[in-house]
Amino acid sequence: MIAAHRFNQILLALLLGLTAVWLVVPFTMAILWSLVDPSEPWTADRLVPPVMSFYRWQDMWENSSLKVALVNSYLLAPSAAIAALMLSMPTAFALGRIRFPGREVAKILALLPLIVPPFVTSIFFTSLLYQLGLNTWRFGAILFAHAIVFMPYAIRIMTVSFEQVRSDHIDAARDLGASPWARWKVAYLPALKPGIFASLLIVFIQSIEEFAIAFIVGSPDFTTIPTLLYGTLGQDFVRPNAAVLSLILVVPNVLLMLILERLLKSANPALSSGKG
Amino acid sequence: MGGISARNLRMEFDGFVAVRDVSFEVASGEFVTLLGPSGCGKTTLLKMISGFLTPTAGDILLAGRDVTRTPPEKRDTALCFQSYALFPHLTVMENLEFGLRQKRVAAADRKERLDAVIGNLDLSLHLSKLPNQLSGGQQQRVALGRALVMRPSVILFDEPLSNLDAKLRDQVRIEIRRIQRDFGLTAIYVTHDQAEALAMSDRVFVMNGGRIEQSDTPEDLYGAPKTSFVADFIGNANVLDAEVKSVNGAGIVELSTPIGLLRAACSGRPQGSKIRICWRPEHANLAATGENRLSARVTHRAFQGHFTDLHLNEGGADYRVQTNMPGIREGDTIAFSLRPDQIVLLETVA
Amino acid sequence: MTLKKWLLVLALLAPGLGLIVGLIGVAVYIAVAQSFGYYNLSGESGFSLDFWSDMLARKVFNRAVVYSIYVGVISSVLAVMLAYPLAIWLRKPFPGSLTIGAILKAPLLVHGLVAAFLFINVIAYHGILNQFMQGLGIWDAPKRLQNDRAAIGVIILQVWKQMPFALLLLTGAVQSISDDVLNAARDLGAGGFARFRKVIAPLTVSAMQAALIIIFIGALADFSFQVIAGPTNRQSLSQLMVFFKSGGRWNDAAVVGVSLMIIAILGSGLLAAVTRMTMRGRLA
Repeated sequence: MIAAHRFNQILLALLLGLTAVWLVVPFTMAILWSLVDPSEPWTADRLVPPVMSFYRWQDMWENSSLKVALVNSYLLAPSAAIAALMLSMPTAFALGRIRFPGREVAKILALLPLIVPPFVTSIFFTSLLYQLGLNTWRFGAILFAHAIVFMPYAIRIMTVSFEQVRSDHIDAARDLGASPWARWKVAYLPALKPGIFASLLIVFIQSIEEFAIAFIVGSPDFTTIPTLLYGTLGQDFVRPNAAVLSLILVVPNVLLMLILERLLKSANPALSSGKG
Repeated sequence: MGGISARNLRMEFDGFVAVRDVSFEVASGEFVTLLGPSGCGKTTLLKMISGFLTPTAGDILLAGRDVTRTPPEKRDTALCFQSYALFPHLTVMENLEFGLRQKRVAAADRKERLDAVIGNLDLSLHLSKLPNQLSGGQQQRVALGRALVMRPSVILFDEPLSNLDAKLRDQVRIEIRRIQRDFGLTAIYVTHDQAEALAMSDRVFVMNGGRIEQSDTPEDLYGAPKTSFVADFIGNANVLDAEVKSVNGAGIVELSTPIGLLRAACSGRPQGSKIRICWRPEHANLAATGENRLSARVTHRAFQGHFTDLHLNEGGADYRVQTNMPGIREGDTIAFSLRPDQIVLLETVA
Repeated sequence: MTLKKWLLVLALLAPGLGLIVGLIGVAVYIAVAQSFGYYNLSGESGFSLDFWSDMLARKVFNRAVVYSIYVGVISSVLAVMLAYPLAIWLRKPFPGSLTIGAILKAPLLVHGLVAAFLFINVIAYHGILNQFMQGLGIWDAPKRLQNDRAAIGVIILQVWKQMPFALLLLTGAVQSISDDVLNAARDLGAGGFARFRKVIAPLTVSAMQAALIIIFIGALADFSFQVIAGPTNRQSLSQLMVFFKSGGRWNDAAVVGVSLMIIAILGSGLLAAVTRMTMRGRLA
């Protein structure tokens, strides 16, 4: 027993050391780079940038497409979230509360978008748009695509939520003479609320982070934060600018994910993951 | 098969003492039950004997060898779990032979042991089934067989019958005892069910608050409990405070109690002047007019079939009496007597 | 099930599942169709095997196939191999286990592109790793680590990003094994590795399969890590596909896309089968 305890302590120390290397160092570098003032470049012989300022941040804000990208991303994400939720509700209701033959197959089919490689989806969705001549309203196209591609999360969470609505609550409401809307409010909504928030949040986060569809369908006119970051990592690689964008992408993300973790504990523990 | 020797065992968790200063000897082939309420330390003691806990202090010897720090996989013990703990992905046969394969027992020996156990426990029809295809009783037998087939020095049982229904419990209880005797295994059995303990064991260790309060044969525990805890835990008992008035040479002690003067038979002198005594409800004789005549008012009556349970009140305290006499109603005052040897002297009160 | 009920179910499924199947189905259909010559946006449409035969003969395509499979398999196997011991270690809570769990899962919160940037920042020519190694005297001069030929950078990124996901799946599976079953194995003489091989592995096979498959597909279809940190003389399948699309060669892109999907399915099936065989688990 004591040996196990000591082993744990050593491993803990090792892992904390590793964390320093794999989390703290990269992020510190990014922060430092974002603060580099262009008056003096940060050369290899200095440990920290010689002159630090928020110049880069200001510059990005004023002169690049950052403002546009921020607006686009933060308009797209909530819209996609709401759309995904609305579209998923009827399906989740059916999957969660009606027993029909083929229900398990239907549940698996709903996961289809997660299996098809994202670039395949985005390229051939674009192809479809061209065929239909609908390739002008980029925002709408991306919104639609996001809503569909992230719906599996909403369906999965809401199905579990619907399954948790207690039949005896519904029956009690009916027995006491409640109208369908009142039944909905008193028996369904309380059980669904955590799931609704969790779905909205998860689709929101996924949409903000999503790259393949935004890149293929959106470029070159429509930028989101990920595509902007991608752009700065390509030919016009200005390290400090890339650092600024990375931090803008990561920090809200971390906060949102933490909120999501807390929410998902009450909705569906198996889904607390996200992929970039 | 070996005996068990425990010396000054102590188990502490973060300041909480679960087992304090326990020492005992178990002879080879003996069936000993650890009996007590939840939290008394019996399961902790079992885990120390099986190796899943290392004692904070003290030693354990199995068949003469010090195994205090030996891990369970190297100890010659086999544990029958309360939850059966059958490997869900292995068939009954694979479950049974798991331990034998781990110890690399030779094929011929393995077959002989398995055949014996399968025959004894009537498992031949279930060998290729998975645990989730078996009933509770069948799973219990597989768990038993898996431990038995190891022919361990000591076989340990952690409340194995608590998940079975009453009828099955009786049957399996008999089987366990029969197999233990046939194979001459030393057995340590943990339960909180005193009827089970009395029926099965050679000796019972009654535990309370991390200590063994009394270790005796079931008959001695019932007839001669040493403390009020044991008296009340095993069967029912009426426990009273008493003051020693006199001791005469013929082994009779005179006691002053809240319900009157009593004369009790006692070998040796009582340790102090204020002690506790007890008598069993079924010893109250409503017919006789002998010594220790007492009377009390009936407050509650419950017909139990082979006897009637009467709750009495006298001198502000409650007592219980069992009788076959018909016609007694609540509110009646009854009289009964006790023989001196039916009054047991318990511990001294400070 | 009455007809009325079926109609109700189908109506309910339409906006959600229906759209999903519709969109994905159409995208896949177009990909397959374009690979066989239809919907040719730059020429004549009609059934043709030419695009397939041309592509299969192309060296860049075959190299991309081998390369993507290489990255896919190695990333998934490494990620799972790292996650298993960690999941077993974290099975029972101990002081600090929650913190470790959170730290190990942190990469899930970091966007892929950001991770790629942080990575190339650290291994840059004048970056901190080079300076560290030089400072310690291990290297005399900075080394060019970025865009290495063996795609180690890409694999490190994939493992960094995906291992927490494997950890999540495996932790759930490992924690569902009851203590008693593991204690019973110990009691019957099984040491640490024997317990893993005979009890833990068979009982967690499906979680392991799921982790391997999902990470494999993700690494196989990678685009961003490859473009930012990958070798310059190799292309991943997704990268190749995007390259063709941006050149207007939709049909060629389609061939690559369909190949990608086929490899994903076949690879997943193979991984699942191999896993099951090596673990030799047998759950009803």
